[in-house]
Amino acid sequence: MQTKEGSPRQLLEQRRSSLSSGRGYAGLLWLAAGIFVVILAAIIEGIVSQSTMAWGHFGLGFLWSTAWNESTNTFGAGQFIIGTLTVTGIAMLIAVPVGLATAAFLTEMCPRRIATPLGVAIDLIAAVPSIVVGLWGLYVLQPVFLRDVEPFMKKIPVIDFAFKGNAEGASYFLAGFVLSIMIVPTMVALSRTALAGVGNTDREAAFALGATPWQVIRKVVVPGANSGLLAAGTLALGRAVGETIAITLLIGNSLTLGHPFSLLNPGATLGSVIVLNFGESQPGTLLRSTLLALAVVLLAMTLIVNIGGRLIVRKNLLFRLP
Amino acid sequence: MSTDLVETPSPSGKDASYYERRALIQASARGTLKRRRTVALAIRILFGFCMVLVLVPLIFLISYVTKRGVGALSVAFFTHTPTPEGIPGGGISNAIIGSLLINGLALVIAMPIGLLIALFLIERRGPIPNAIRFGADVLSGLPSILIGLFAYAVIVTHTGHYSAYSASAALAVLMLPIMIRGDEEAMRTVPNELWEAGLALGARQSRVVRSVVVRGSIPGLVTANLLALARAVGETAPLLFTAVGSQLFSLSFNQPMNAIPIVIYQDGTTAFKDLQQDAWGAAFVLMVGVLILSIIGRLFAARLTRKSR
Amino acid sequence: MWTQPGENEMTDTTSAVAARIQQEVLAQGSGSVGLLENAPAAVALTDVAVDFGSTHAVRRVTFPLVANRVTALVGPSGCGKTTVLRAINRMHDRSGGKVTGSIRLGDLEIYGRDAQPELIRSRIGMVFQRPNPFPTMSILDNVTSGLRFNGIRNKQVLKDAAESALQSAALWDTVKDRLDQPAVRLSGGQQQRLCIARALAVEPEVLLMDEPCSALDPISTSAIEETIVELASEVTIALVTHNMFQATRCADLTAVFLLDADDHIGELVEYGSTQQIFSAPSDSRTEQYVTGQVS
Repeated sequence: MQTKEGSPRQLLEQRRSSLSSGRGYAGLLWLAAGIFVVILAAIIEGIVSQSTMAWGHFGLGFLWSTAWNESTNTFGAGQFIIGTLTVTGIAMLIAVPVGLATAAFLTEMCPRRIATPLGVAIDLIAAVPSIVVGLWGLYVLQPVFLRDVEPFMKKIPVIDFAFKGNAEGASYFLAGFVLSIMIVPTMVALSRTALAGVGNTDREAAFALGATPWQVIRKVVVPGANSGLLAAGTLALGRAVGETIAITLLIGNSLTLGHPFSLLNPGATLGSVIVLNFGESQPGTLLRSTLLALAVVLLAMTLIVNIGGRLIVRKNLLFRLP
Repeated sequence: MSTDLVETPSPSGKDASYYERRALIQASARGTLKRRRTVALAIRILFGFCMVLVLVPLIFLISYVTKRGVGALSVAFFTHTPTPEGIPGGGISNAIIGSLLINGLALVIAMPIGLLIALFLIERRGPIPNAIRFGADVLSGLPSILIGLFAYAVIVTHTGHYSAYSASAALAVLMLPIMIRGDEEAMRTVPNELWEAGLALGARQSRVVRSVVVRGSIPGLVTANLLALARAVGETAPLLFTAVGSQLFSLSFNQPMNAIPIVIYQDGTTAFKDLQQDAWGAAFVLMVGVLILSIIGRLFAARLTRKSR
Repeated sequence: MWTQPGENEMTDTTSAVAARIQQEVLAQGSGSVGLLENAPAAVALTDVAVDFGSTHAVRRVTFPLVANRVTALVGPSGCGKTTVLRAINRMHDRSGGKVTGSIRLGDLEIYGRDAQPELIRSRIGMVFQRPNPFPTMSILDNVTSGLRFNGIRNKQVLKDAAESALQSAALWDTVKDRLDQPAVRLSGGQQQRLCIARALAVEPEVLLMDEPCSALDPISTSAIEETIVELASEVTIALVTHNMFQATRCADLTAVFLLDADDHIGELVEYGSTQQIFSAPSDSRTEQYVTGQVS
């Protein structure tokens, strides 16, 4: 067999033959790939299989029922879906604008010598384990929220309808706020990448026409970074949906929806209810199966967000191509 | 202030409206300048404020955890097993050992598989590698509680008891996507000369080719694995369904085992001050450990980009 | 050497001055001094130097951009031509370059304390090496972007200005039926014309062009060179080019930049009519460059 480097075709043929002659090695790679596929399948199967009792019992109505009664064995997922959506919504509402603004500041309005270490510091927030963030939120933020912040929120004119009732400590609002702290670094880092990806020549052209830095950002940089910013938001959303333990510490353990619905109420998300109630449930019971059914709902939500987000980004990219 | 120039008559014959327009444009530019500049400055201040907002929690968090955690540290803290509340002298030695063992085993399981899969993705093209890459992305987005439940359903249910190795399995699955993506990227950024040199050595010796490339991308591989480890070490939810924690000192993988995140979670949510103290000590140790791992990982990554330039 | 237009020169003597310039351009071998006497300068650079931190990029730059003429800045790469060009519209503000010396636009000192960079840039436009239309905007939006940045909103004014600018850039006929299409669909040469139109739409007094044809094919290049020559009647043009032949084709006046042999800092070596520079240069270094001994 020739071993000289030559045309690309020769290289390709060499590579192909090299694979077949390292047959054991190639087999090993395929094995690893196969193991991976098996793991993915096992994850889905393992969770779904133990939830079948609940699905069989409740049917699809499980998804919008908000009941929870252990003695009558009636359970629903609705309150937890609402909880997850609420907490995630609060987190995104705070983290997306703040994250975008921070990213814009770092890439456009800040000399690079300062921006780089600041960016690293922000990334370090993301590295702190969520249990630590959750515990800090519990000991430091919860008292402050209870005493000052939540009563304050009730007084703000336009949004006060969402903050009815009394602050009790654990609440959707507190959990959502801490969650926003946790996903902001993701938003900042990815937005920075998106904004920095806009070519410098576009910026220069805008400046050369007499634009101010804000005009350049608004009219040239942000539109140019469109798809990257969308991807940033999607990934931040994915992280928000996937976060469990910090929320568990801060949201309380309310198994039903409070009336009236208020952000100051304690509640539960799909993740937190599983963590807090799994240990008390016995294997083989409907309760146990219900908890796993909630896990399936969480899995479905995660997949929708991740895959759907990817599709949207791809679609957005395609539309921009001439 | 004269700003007009001496103009030769324009051949295109649009003089009058031309100069009118220029005057109009300049008037508009001048007139709007103050507003535009004010807005630009206001935005700069607002966005800078946002950045400060983002950094403030980090500062508060690190300082609070340090303040409360350092006080809990002592020799006993690191060398004794937990004692019931009210009884002094307890520590988290079993949790520290537990975390080391559980994560160590997870690393040992995940590293080779991750590397092999990354090699697979590099060697092959087509729908199957793309599907696997997609699967890895999806897996990396899964909530860790689901991975814990998976380990529970597959291992704990069938063996009938909680165990440390089921925790390791869960953490290994958690680490895999980070390793796969990081390993693949590390090997892709290996300069072409290394690939070609390996090929030139003889296409038959496929193993030589691979080892040349693998060896050349070691900094990147180390980064990927360090970051995966940093992520796994801090995870709590998977542990709650697999290793569930224990008051005893144990080196057995076949039994429940304590771990640092479990201590933080369980002791931190009690009402007992001394247990809370243990939780903060553990939180401090965990935070410092994870930050160190992340920083080292980043330093390696920076070295890698500098090398490949 | 050259004069600034004072107030009393502006009115009746306009055509007289113009006629004088015309005469001198036509006169063969009139020498650099003769051409420049009493010719009005749109921009006057005096002893300009640009430093980046501790690195000196270019210095001792003193020459005018004569009104309604094309002035070429030639020289090998790295001698400071582009650096000087970018100093004129204060582009170094963003990249940390420090500019010393005097650059005057008419009566206005560009680096003076009262000078506003945004206003200066609306009076001195720039066309870049690689065509850079804004990728997310249509052709029309691209052309009117400068006007909109400067606060003009009236749709009719924008349309008229766009048409006029596209006409000047010789692109109107090509795009008049597809003004709403994305600008990136145009070919390279067309995109560069679009960038020229975009710069012209703001009615600048001066247009700085930084090797505008270097990314284009020869046919587009010669077409744009034609446009440049025609544009001179509307705006004063400064054209950076590393191609001496382009200078002879397009430019009335030429400034030659070379590296100082000792400290490798760029400087202006000679300035004069293009014809004189290339046929009878005064400085020996110019002669070496022009005859190809210096690359």
